[in-house]
Amino acid sequence: MDELLLSKVRLGVVAELLNYDWVAFSELARALDVSHGNLGAHLSKLVDAEYVEEEKSFVNRRPLTRYRLTKKGRDAFAAHVSQLASLLKAAT
Amino acid sequence: MTVERIDAAQAREHLEMVDRILAESHPRLCAGGEFFLLWGLASAYITVLFHLVDIGMFAARALWSVPIVLAACALYSLVRARSLNRTIARTSLVQREFFNVLWLTLGVTFIANVAAFRIFSGIAQAALWSVAEAIVLLYIGMHGNRRAQIAGVLVVVSLVAANFVAPDRTAYVLAAGMLVGYAGFGVSELLAAE
Repeated sequence: MDELLLSKVRLGVVAELLNYDWVAFSELARALDVSHGNLGAHLSKLVDAEYVEEEKSFVNRRPLTRYRLTKKGRDAFAAHVSQLASLLKAAT
Repeated sequence: MTVERIDAAQAREHLEMVDRILAESHPRLCAGGEFFLLWGLASAYITVLFHLVDIGMFAARALWSVPIVLAACALYSLVRARSLNRTIARTSLVQREFFNVLWLTLGVTFIANVAAFRIFSGIAQAALWSVAEAIVLLYIGMHGNRRAQIAGVLVVVSLVAANFVAPDRTAYVLAAGMLVGYAGFGVSELLAAE
């Protein structure tokens, strides 16, 4: 099973990004109901693992950070969810 | 990391969370009403202008306004699209696919208009734009936007109707389709967004 995606927050981030091209940091924090600090730490790990791509820019002089899922992240998510389902099936 | 690090109860909890997130993830196809309003007005204006020049009501020099209008619309669209892309909190994959369809449809139509002018001459050029507009609207309609479905059908109806009215009215019927269907959809999107 994918170690990175065993964290509920990180799995949630990847699920949130699944149907989107880019999602802003603030939007992810709102959707997952986690603090900015907590989310930032989890996102760093996903970015380091190249599961997620980060884009930093300025809009009206305010910083905007957006994220999107990479192919590696998408494949890892699919495999992880499949393994979770298998685990659940074996246990029942 | 091994399977033992997570038990069945946690696996169920994680899967339920994923299901919930995906169920709530309904990427809305944000078409951008202002683009439709702008291009609907521009295409109707150009269609009628060409007709009025053709029947001698306006001098041919009035056609100089066409490239100016097109350039202004293109410039506005580029600047606005860039601005929207940067500020939007979520950009869905459906949205990206829509822009691909939009640019492909309008691009092919533009090439057909400019490079195949012997085949698509006169009012056929305006009709081509109606076809392109109908495709774009019906594509948005396919993703659940009822207003786009109605607008797309209106443009198609105007196209068919234009074929059967008197030749001196064809341009007006096509322009009406562009105004009511394309620009009208833009207005309805802007009103719905408020």
